[in-house]
Amino acid sequence: MSAPTPSLPVTPETLGYRIPSLPYRIVIAVLRAFLSFVFFVAIPVAALAYVHSRGLAIPVPIAAVTTWGVVLLVLSAARYILKPTAAYGPLSIALDGVFFGYLYYLLLLSPYRFVVPGGSVSLAAGYSLFIEILMIVPAVGILAGILTTIEDVSHPKERLPFDYPA
Amino acid sequence: MAASIVPTYRRPPAIYRVARALRWTGIIVLVLLIIYAGSVAYSAYEVAHASIQSRSLSAVSVQNGVIQISGSFTLSNPGIYPIAGLALSASVANDSGVHLGAVSVGPETIAGHSSALFPIVISLPIAGSDAAESLLFEDQYIEVAAWANVTYAYLFPLAVTLLETRSWGAPFEGFQATVGRPVLNNNGTVSVPVTVSFSNHASFLEDGALTFTVESAGQATCGGGSFPIDVPPGDSYDQTQDATLSTGCSPVGGELLSSFTIDGSTTSLPPEPIP
Repeated sequence: MSAPTPSLPVTPETLGYRIPSLPYRIVIAVLRAFLSFVFFVAIPVAALAYVHSRGLAIPVPIAAVTTWGVVLLVLSAARYILKPTAAYGPLSIALDGVFFGYLYYLLLLSPYRFVVPGGSVSLAAGYSLFIEILMIVPAVGILAGILTTIEDVSHPKERLPFDYPA
Repeated sequence: MAASIVPTYRRPPAIYRVARALRWTGIIVLVLLIIYAGSVAYSAYEVAHASIQSRSLSAVSVQNGVIQISGSFTLSNPGIYPIAGLALSASVANDSGVHLGAVSVGPETIAGHSSALFPIVISLPIAGSDAAESLLFEDQYIEVAAWANVTYAYLFPLAVTLLETRSWGAPFEGFQATVGRPVLNNNGTVSVPVTVSFSNHASFLEDGALTFTVESAGQATCGGGSFPIDVPPGDSYDQTQDATLSTGCSPVGGELLSSFTIDGSTTSLPPEPIP
């Protein structure tokens, strides 16, 4: 006759994962957003402003770059904060969908036409093929988001031990 | 007896693994494309600062009734990516928009870290075109339009359009050939003084001969002569020479036909009526 095995309390740790606290995730998300803002909004806007200051037409409006960039950063931060929840998959789809839309918007603006100051030389630079290849990135991201959504619906919290190992 | 948790490795579910692989694929593709775009931008910046190191379209010559504007340009590609399919077309029109001539170059490919020299010859036939003929006698402005298409770094097509207005210096600016009053010579022949004047506003030395023929109203050849020409750029020419006419041939109402010969090539000038 053996002694009964004491039952353990069901906590995330006993289930094999440890989710960072909400304030911690918010702080990290804000830091990530700040870095992303520098790379994906501030530097492109500064480059466009420099081109504009040299008397050249700019390929894309600065307001558009700022708007699309901020929307992407907000969605990215929200996705990071809500990663432990079932909203992660849909937010991934939304984020990559917006990224796809941004690239499609840039695709419509190709080619970039401008006249060199002085008026005698004009250029048209096409970048459609590059954007089309770049579109692979959000397309793959959307697929990943769909799979995560399906997983979260069919097996809630199944991925947490792998996303946040204890 | 104490309870123990035995750590076990659990393989992630397939759907999770696929989603993770897709995310990593996206990240890797994004990073590679960002690196590629950065290197293209840097390479293109180098090309923009080094390209078309020498551009010259100033050599002009007149040969066998054709004005030739020749020159060349050197395109340097110090970047790492090739400039492929370089095709250049250029056309020349006068300031009224009348097409005078055209040229095309390529398609050529310039590999990275190399340069290429492209000779250009634009031929403007004088015969049959008043506009082209006027290039011989009238200073004017000509419009040079050039188009170039290239593909840079495999993915980026680039179209360049150049529109330029250039001043044209005519080699026989203000050309005049006039026939004076006939003079009866002591030996019984009749001669007429023929005066030729012009200014050389072209960039080349006019070194050759200008021959002329005096024709009667009935297009019979009355006589002729030849002027040696040695006119540097910017100089004027004004010479008179007597032409002995054949007996009974009257130049009145006829024409003075002339042509000049430089380096063995002859170009006819438009006829001047004789009053």
